[in-house]
Amino acid sequence: MKKILTLLYTNFIMLTRQRGLIISSLGLAIISMLVFGFLFGGSGSPKTLLGVVDQDHSAISAQIVHQLQKSDALQVNTGSSDEEQQALKDGHRNAVIIIPPGFGQQMVQGGAHLQVFYDQGNPVTTAATQLTVKAIIDGINRAVTHQPGPVTLDQQAVAAKDIREIDIITPGMLGMLLMWANLAVGIQLVNWREMGITKRLAATPLQPLAMISAQVVARLALSLIQGVILLALAAWIFNVHIYGNIGLLALVVILGALTLLAIGFAIASFVKKSEAANSVLLLVSFPMMFLGGSYFDVNGAPGFLQPLIHAMPLYYLNDALRQVINNGAGWSAIQTGVLVMVAWIIASMLVVWRAFKWL
Amino acid sequence: MISQEQLANTPTTHAGAEVMVDVRNLVKSYHHKTVVNNVSFAARKAEIFGVLGPNGAGKTTTLEMIEGIRTPDSGTAILAGLDVQRQKSAVQRVIGVQLQATTLFPELTLLETLQFFAALYPKALDPRQLLSDVALEEKAMAYPQDLSGGQRQRLALAIALVNDPQVLFLDEPTAGLDPQSRRMLWDIVLRLREQGKTILLTTHFMDEAQLLCDRIAIMDNGQIIALDTAAGLIGRLGAQATLDCWLDGRATKSDIEELEGVTGVRQANERYIIYTNTMQSTLVALLAYADTNGITLADLQVRVPTLEDVFLELTGRELRSE
Repeated sequence: MKKILTLLYTNFIMLTRQRGLIISSLGLAIISMLVFGFLFGGSGSPKTLLGVVDQDHSAISAQIVHQLQKSDALQVNTGSSDEEQQALKDGHRNAVIIIPPGFGQQMVQGGAHLQVFYDQGNPVTTAATQLTVKAIIDGINRAVTHQPGPVTLDQQAVAAKDIREIDIITPGMLGMLLMWANLAVGIQLVNWREMGITKRLAATPLQPLAMISAQVVARLALSLIQGVILLALAAWIFNVHIYGNIGLLALVVILGALTLLAIGFAIASFVKKSEAANSVLLLVSFPMMFLGGSYFDVNGAPGFLQPLIHAMPLYYLNDALRQVINNGAGWSAIQTGVLVMVAWIIASMLVVWRAFKWL
Repeated sequence: MISQEQLANTPTTHAGAEVMVDVRNLVKSYHHKTVVNNVSFAARKAEIFGVLGPNGAGKTTTLEMIEGIRTPDSGTAILAGLDVQRQKSAVQRVIGVQLQATTLFPELTLLETLQFFAALYPKALDPRQLLSDVALEEKAMAYPQDLSGGQRQRLALAIALVNDPQVLFLDEPTAGLDPQSRRMLWDIVLRLREQGKTILLTTHFMDEAQLLCDRIAIMDNGQIIALDTAAGLIGRLGAQATLDCWLDGRATKSDIEELEGVTGVRQANERYIIYTNTMQSTLVALLAYADTNGITLADLQVRVPTLEDVFLELTGRELRSE
């Protein structure tokens, strides 16, 4: 027992004394959050400007429009498709929803479909708008699947949320923090190997697996503590609210950290020199940092980048964090992301199993 | 001169004392190159057993196989009655290891480092006491990278002692240290032998081997080429003294071998090393030989033969030039 506690304690304090690690994870996340928070205002963004085109003219579509108009987070304009599309192009709308002819009919029968256009010109508001519209459509879908009859939008989902830039950036910074804090485990192991520390440990009764497990637990603890600090600061300074379940959020954080740790171990499996490990780490983390959606929305990125983006574990981690923190989403909304992260863990462990060397 | 028969009859153990380390026929190859070739020896309780040889002789690999860090291709190593390969964890509890150039966790203080290693063993000595044993108590809160070379080696020694081991492995413990630090480390090692510990150390310093080791195995190209006490090894040269000198080109090796009392001659260009068992008459004969033939004699030095001479005799190479 004393041995386990000493192993955990030692691994943990070693992490806290790695200044570079703390600065690149928590430091960078906090600074980015402060910069973006103050730059783009923490006082609440203007309402999302939504154009609604009702081509259906049914009772149901009228009800949807009415519900949208009631929402505090939206400023709804109605008009023809051409008018609203033009307004969107001119920057007078953040998004335009088109309710196509026959929508009401389809809704009763199933298979109803809404068309949504976003203003991609302003990346700062795009993300917020997308989340708001997503919430609206979720609300409509819920109304369709669970309660046949008059469409009622989930007012909680749309109106209660005043999604600001800082609300979007905070989960992104949490994801980035987790990446920097955990991917670096690869460098740690390569360093130990290169310095001869693993060889020295091989002459003691310590099992390599015990040391590695302690390192993993220490990194998870560090991730959770840093995450709490970041979210507490966000709540305190910018009043960022966590809408989802805290337990689920902790699970997503741990799963994300484990995914990045696994990739870190995979890197340590095929890199021998710590200098090379540093290069590989930068090569992996920098594209993820920007294309993984930590700083800005990447759904509008050029098509050729999309396969790359959708291969990145950080993309799914950021998405899952936003779903839980901003949307108050439950398990169903993050399923895909969880599966992708688990797949990354399995793939990385296969590499580790085949190639990892302690000595 | 050391004959092949003498080598073959080298005693590996002395009767009476308890054998703590029994190494038999260790072999290790890397990429079809045999690094350790059929190495056997035994070390007794409270013995300092030295492995002397140039860099690349296979000393470290041999030690690491006995420590259980590397797996031999064939051969066995028994420590305190335990088979290193079959009872590895039991062996790991009774050995202490100082690796060549140990680097430690840069984020842990000396005290924390020792506490960490202490936690790995079922029974361990007090970390603070260990630090004071190696004269590092004032550095308890320092980090390893802030230590001098000698202090770092002493820290490595303290870590090796944390489980109060029966067998201690020291790989080049004084490499790169200043004379004062070397002496300090030697004192600690000699004290440990008094406590009854068996110490296996590698070195490429003959003075260190001569001063510290009860017995010495000379290793070259992965093989033990001689094994005896320092006095025994030097005695095999059959020489009482060594004459180092420079003779100009007219001198020949065969002439010098004919001089009175000469037991052996080594020549490299115009430098000669002459072994003799009657130093005085050989010296007189050498001077007369130079005189009568008009040969210039310079840089004459008379000294007691050392392990360096033994190594040179055995391999034809100088130990120090490596």
